[in-house]
Amino acid sequence: MDYTQRNKKNIQEMLKTIKVNKINELFDMIPEKLISNVSIEEGKTEQEICLEFKDTARKNKLLTCFRGAGIYDHFIPSLVNEIIGRSEFWTSYTPYQAEASQGTLQAIFEYQSLICALTGLDVSNASLYDGATAVVEAILLALKIKNIPKGKILISSALNPEYIRTILTYLENFDVDIVFLKTHDGSIDIKELNEFLLNDIQTIITIVIQSPNFFGIVEDMKTISSIVKKSDILFISVVNPLSLGVFCSPGEYGADIAVGEGQALGLPMNFGGSTLGFMAIKKYLTWKIPGRLVGKTIDKNGNPGFILTLQSREQHIRRERATSNICSNSSLNAIAACVFLSGWGKNEFVKLAKINIAKAKYAFNKIRAIKGFRAKFSENKFFFNEFVIETEKNINKINTVLLNNRILGPLNLSNTFLNKKDFRQCMLFCVTEQRTKKEIDTLIKILSSI
Amino acid sequence: MRKLLNELSSDCASAYHINSDIKIDNITVPENLIRKSKLQLPTISENELFRYFTNLSRKNYALSTVFYPLGSCTMKYNPLVNEYIAKLEKFTMLHPLQDLITVQGSLEIMYNLEEILCKISGMDAFSLQQAAGAHGEITGLLIIAKYFASIKQKRTKIIIPDSAHGTNSASATYAGFEVISLKSEKNGNISLQKLKNILNSEVAAVMLTVPNTLGIFEKKILEIAELIHENGSLLYYDGANLNAILGVAKPGDMGFDIMHINLHKTFSTPHGGGGPGSGPVGVKKFLEPFLPIPRIIKIKKHEFCFNYFKPNSIGKVKAFFGNFPVILKAYVYIRSLGKEGLKNVSKYAVLNANYLLAKLKHKIKVSCEDKCMHEFVLAPKVILKNGVKTIDIAKRLLDYGYYAPTIYFPTIVEEAIMIEPTETESKQTLDEFSETLLKIIDEIECNPEKVKNSPFNTEVKRLNEVVAARKPILKW
Repeated sequence: MDYTQRNKKNIQEMLKTIKVNKINELFDMIPEKLISNVSIEEGKTEQEICLEFKDTARKNKLLTCFRGAGIYDHFIPSLVNEIIGRSEFWTSYTPYQAEASQGTLQAIFEYQSLICALTGLDVSNASLYDGATAVVEAILLALKIKNIPKGKILISSALNPEYIRTILTYLENFDVDIVFLKTHDGSIDIKELNEFLLNDIQTIITIVIQSPNFFGIVEDMKTISSIVKKSDILFISVVNPLSLGVFCSPGEYGADIAVGEGQALGLPMNFGGSTLGFMAIKKYLTWKIPGRLVGKTIDKNGNPGFILTLQSREQHIRRERATSNICSNSSLNAIAACVFLSGWGKNEFVKLAKINIAKAKYAFNKIRAIKGFRAKFSENKFFFNEFVIETEKNINKINTVLLNNRILGPLNLSNTFLNKKDFRQCMLFCVTEQRTKKEIDTLIKILSSI
Repeated sequence: MRKLLNELSSDCASAYHINSDIKIDNITVPENLIRKSKLQLPTISENELFRYFTNLSRKNYALSTVFYPLGSCTMKYNPLVNEYIAKLEKFTMLHPLQDLITVQGSLEIMYNLEEILCKISGMDAFSLQQAAGAHGEITGLLIIAKYFASIKQKRTKIIIPDSAHGTNSASATYAGFEVISLKSEKNGNISLQKLKNILNSEVAAVMLTVPNTLGIFEKKILEIAELIHENGSLLYYDGANLNAILGVAKPGDMGFDIMHINLHKTFSTPHGGGGPGSGPVGVKKFLEPFLPIPRIIKIKKHEFCFNYFKPNSIGKVKAFFGNFPVILKAYVYIRSLGKEGLKNVSKYAVLNANYLLAKLKHKIKVSCEDKCMHEFVLAPKVILKNGVKTIDIAKRLLDYGYYAPTIYFPTIVEEAIMIEPTETESKQTLDEFSETLLKIIDEIECNPEKVKNSPFNTEVKRLNEVVAARKPILKW
């Protein structure tokens, strides 16, 4: 089935108006030898399609999730899906005609305001694709501000490996030097960072630090920033927005740019996409920010309204000199995040973050007490959602046993991109507010029995 | 404008609440990590929030409420069955790093979509990782760069016609290339001679949109391809206008080496007010080794896995594997339509565009000759009188309950109005729209102030862009 009208009488009238006899004549512009068929199956009705895809869906398994590494199983209030399920939001286009798009524009203005409130920075754009590309855009922004040939980009080696891979792809053809900052005991080695900056400050363009980092550890961003801010190096902080209910905001410690993955703000895991990249910046960078911006203005009667603004930064006007090539972004997901963020209030949002800390901590303490399991990093490391456990046992076997119990166990770090020998017997657990005490206790029981 | 969220905030109970079955009061966050600044989140009841956002939605013109003849954007009907299937929990609740045996359904869908896109486009391999059209472009350009590096050729330039989408040039720059602009002919076609003049050993690729942004098929595409290949350069297909040739002709047969497809245009997935989209990249066989990792491979009849071991791959262009719900919706759409349905897409898209063109071309100058493909561009400069501009026509259309066409693009046509009706609109809608547009043309003559001061029937009146940009207010 298809969605065309196929009304024979109308078609005849239309052809008559166009002054052709057959629709095929309209394709005369295409050289004949290029005309060909597509050999795929015949179409299906809605009922047949539903049956088929429900069958396919059965080949996927829903599991109790103790895995994170960039995508998290969080609670989504019903209102979020109700609102982004409004067809006026999901079937509209980019709000270029502002007067006919006040719904999307105002919602995105609210989103920008909420991201600024969370990060403590001045300006948020209307969204980017995801966390990984948001970090890339932040680095590209830094390169525009500080153009040092063969300049250095310092990146925490505890940045999510998916992000690192994406950065490496994008920067392949740039004349820059990517340097990975070592970690010590699961977080940035402050001493090494200090020395590095002392010796090499002239050639460094930007520094990228994630907190909570890939191992779940909350970095001492204040101290890092105080070292970085002795120079004019751009400080890019990669943050988990949910954690900002409790932890120091990028604005407080003076980051120039905060970016990250917004999936935790009301979006399902969706097999890793589509999600939401967010970016907030200090005011002085406003004209360099990539992507769309919604601004407040007035109409001809003096009444307030919203409009896409500072568009001369963007590709459809500036072409090869644009601040980014981005056009489509993650608008609908940004609206989801907006509905999510506006419903908690300060107190419940802080409580939500605390529950994430408490549940992970509870699981951590129980797991490391099991014989054969121990904490990878020292006691004083504070973590959010995730923690690393080292074991002598076979991690793949652990995960197989857990899987037989419909549990998605920890990520085996010996299989990941950057952590080779250091993390051979290590695994990354994730516990969010979604996991009940009972589920955590079941996990512990199974781990104890292996 | 209704009150904003921060103004709605009060001492009431918030909309969402959470409890914990594990104690939280014994957490002590170290002093140096703790947030000290105020967290300015609003507190609003669920009832009020529900009303607030529902009322906001009603201020949008959407495809579900009005005709959206946006040129180059392919605003076709977004089938509801696609939405229904994409919301099944067994798709939405998957973690990207689940063991592969627990995600076989999703892998099968991705594998099958890659295969079917190959059949539709005449390419040999597809990657679904790209989150949008421009993301597809930059992926394609990074592949081109890597390919030339692999054969040790230094090619630093990309040729892009001046009628192309702005993303083409921006993507080329960010992939490390220099852009050479190619002046198009009046109807947007490429002049072989002009192309010849600027082709040299430094040119890595030529990016073309076929049909071009004026809705004209490039008749000499085979000669253009030959010329480019003789020069050792590659030919890139911007899939923004694929709707025009769906099921009828294939970019792969035309000589294109690499392309992207906008699933949110041609394959009916919704635009979501600006995203998320999906921009799969297709290549001919010799470029397959450079596609992003991981690649999905079939190991047995019904068993799929990821292959990360591709030493020549450009790497990853985003986290994980792509915008899965968008990918799924596009696949459901293609399977619903099948062979005949796909053909009907281009057939009726082109019929509808030509019908609208026939109804308008006697009154308004058009930038094509007699016929077009799926879209056309009006060049109303000569009929613009009394200080009326294209933007005024666009705003006046809003008064009559239409979203406006794309305006001032392509930039090679002065005061351009770009119209793409798509295949899913009825004759009646097109009749009413053309009558309205002609009525506005009359208004330019007899009541120009009305047009210049429009819109009148929208939530807000003409918004001031200059005020917005002069002192930007970008948050509460």
